[in-house]
Amino acid sequence: MNYFAGIDVGSTSIKIAITDEVNQLIAAHTAPSGSFFHKNARDAFRFLCQTKGISADDIAYVVATGYGRKLYKNAHETISEITANAVGAYRLGKPATVRTIINIGGQDLKVIALDEEGHISNFTMNDKCAAGTGRFLEMTARNLEMAVDELGTCHGAYGGIPATINSTCTVFAESEIISLLARGGDRGEIIAGIHYSIARRVARLAKRIGIKDTVFFDGGPALNQGMVKALEDELMMAITVPENPQTTTAYGAALIAAEAYFSREKETHAA
Amino acid sequence: MSADGMQRKQNTIRLHLGMEVKEFFRKITEASPDRPKAMEYFDNFLRRIYCDDAAPASTRPLIGTMCVQVPDELIYAAGAVPYRLCNGSSTYDLCGAEFMPAKSCPVVRATTGMLHAAQINLKEQLAAVIIPTTCDQKKKAGELIASMGYKVHFLEMPSTCATELSRNYWQDSVQEFTLELQKITGQKITPARLKKAIQKIGAAGRAFRQLYNLRQGPLPILSGVDAFLVSNGYFLDDIDNWTAAVEALNNELIERQKKGTTVGNKNAPRFLFTGSPPIFPNFKIPMLVEEAGGVIVTDEACSSTRLLYDAVAYDEEALYDMLPAIADRYLKPCTCPCLTPNENRKRKLLEMIDSFSVDGVIYQAYSGCHPYEMEQMAINDMLAEKKVPMLYVETDFSKEDMGQLTTRVEAFIESIQSRKRRKKI
Repeated sequence: MNYFAGIDVGSTSIKIAITDEVNQLIAAHTAPSGSFFHKNARDAFRFLCQTKGISADDIAYVVATGYGRKLYKNAHETISEITANAVGAYRLGKPATVRTIINIGGQDLKVIALDEEGHISNFTMNDKCAAGTGRFLEMTARNLEMAVDELGTCHGAYGGIPATINSTCTVFAESEIISLLARGGDRGEIIAGIHYSIARRVARLAKRIGIKDTVFFDGGPALNQGMVKALEDELMMAITVPENPQTTTAYGAALIAAEAYFSREKETHAA
Repeated sequence: MSADGMQRKQNTIRLHLGMEVKEFFRKITEASPDRPKAMEYFDNFLRRIYCDDAAPASTRPLIGTMCVQVPDELIYAAGAVPYRLCNGSSTYDLCGAEFMPAKSCPVVRATTGMLHAAQINLKEQLAAVIIPTTCDQKKKAGELIASMGYKVHFLEMPSTCATELSRNYWQDSVQEFTLELQKITGQKITPARLKKAIQKIGAAGRAFRQLYNLRQGPLPILSGVDAFLVSNGYFLDDIDNWTAAVEALNNELIERQKKGTTVGNKNAPRFLFTGSPPIFPNFKIPMLVEEAGGVIVTDEACSSTRLLYDAVAYDEEALYDMLPAIADRYLKPCTCPCLTPNENRKRKLLEMIDSFSVDGVIYQAYSGCHPYEMEQMAINDMLAEKKVPMLYVETDFSKEDMGQLTTRVEAFIESIQSRKRRKKI
């Protein structure tokens, strides 16, 4: 049995997906990126294989993607996270046809437009700074002394009108949050405000390239229900969130690995 | 747009408006904890309109007006109620940005955006939208608004008030407007009805002028932001309720004056605000000025002082005398920079600087508002000659330039404070 692996080495976490010959997801794993990308990625890969009882020899082809893809040395090839994300999301979105992907990563923000066949027709991302990305949410959580995965629940529990966070710059927003807290602002109100400020930024970016149904939202922040709600409100449409939003890009890389492997085999046979 | 899409859009607009208004009131209650009690009426009224979708109270037809130049007396006399549509929210500004140029006036963009986004509710309620042909953007927006399905009437206005020709032209235009109004409401404008309408607005004007005069006193008793809230309430409120609320505010201010209760520091630098109109909830610049320690004691803005300062003066209770009197009240004292020449505005500003003991002038121009942008030079030169410092700010409804503006406003106020100190020594 041949297996295929996609390794997405992101700025915050490493995501690994393993698929079989018929593109079924067999195993997935998420681990922190830390400072030593190659070592941590290798360890995470080994750990996943071990726990799933997959022998490293059975992994026929590995594709690395993500911001740290070049730092992972054991891949057969690398591909940009935009292509991998598009492939993974288009496939996971079935039976619906995904036409827009919104991905919020650790330190970037992407909107990818797909055509009917799933090919990338346009894409845009934030430039330079980490405003409105996962980092922004981490900073918020730290200021509010809570875990990142509690943000969504806290937003959900607060039913009122969100606070307004004017700055999109992470540094200025931090001082705004601190002053709101100092005035005794409700945590849920502030978190909801942060979610809406990020969502507005995403919506602005998305409008630039045009939004088409179905909209697929992935990346770690898609696990946050408050973020999902804010994004639906700002885009004024329903969005689809996959079961494991963090590993769609890794899954896409694994699909690309399988395709690369089989086309290579075909070439060998032909020769 | 699908029904679901429309619903989602409405929900998001409501949410954004809620956030804007909430932020607004959080800021003003923080900035001045000792506001007059009577301000609560205006706070609650605007909150209801913006956050609770409160429908206009009247059961009579509503006539939307897009400028201060529409003679409201005629609307009341025709059995309808005026409803000033000029909008100041960045939420609706964004709605308007979908079909208006990026460099157009945010007030016009927000107003058009609101009429577009709120089509379902407002289209049924508004019997007509009246657009005086003042600035180009309002005129062209009128065509857009008509294409959305609203009944639009252009109230033709001359581009000067200095000639006999313009006066006659305007009177004819007002005359035609009365005929149009009677057609819309099906009610005849009689001398008795017109007299009543003039009295109604006259009463509101008296209360407003009393407030204006109270603010001339040496002690700052009301913040400029609160004064703008009062006048912005007039845009949409039932006129009798509004007049009563202003009278209550005046009485409270008289009491406070006796006790010597001031808003902020009693020696705070005093400012005159002029230029593009602050419209709720965008009081960005007035708020910055007052947060930085200044106090706006008066303004020359079409969203405030120009609303009600002047009164209709007629001799005979007959239409042939009352109608020209109403027309004159709207054209002769007009200081809108759409008019050329606009010497009235210069005179008015100098008169206000003197009677309100003003230390400096804040001149706001919305980016894209060409008449105010153009006239800035002339006003600046005039004030420089009189040695009155002026801060010229070009901005819009977004909050992105707040950091930079705060620094500019603070530096301006500091320079005036140090000048005042030097004078004392």
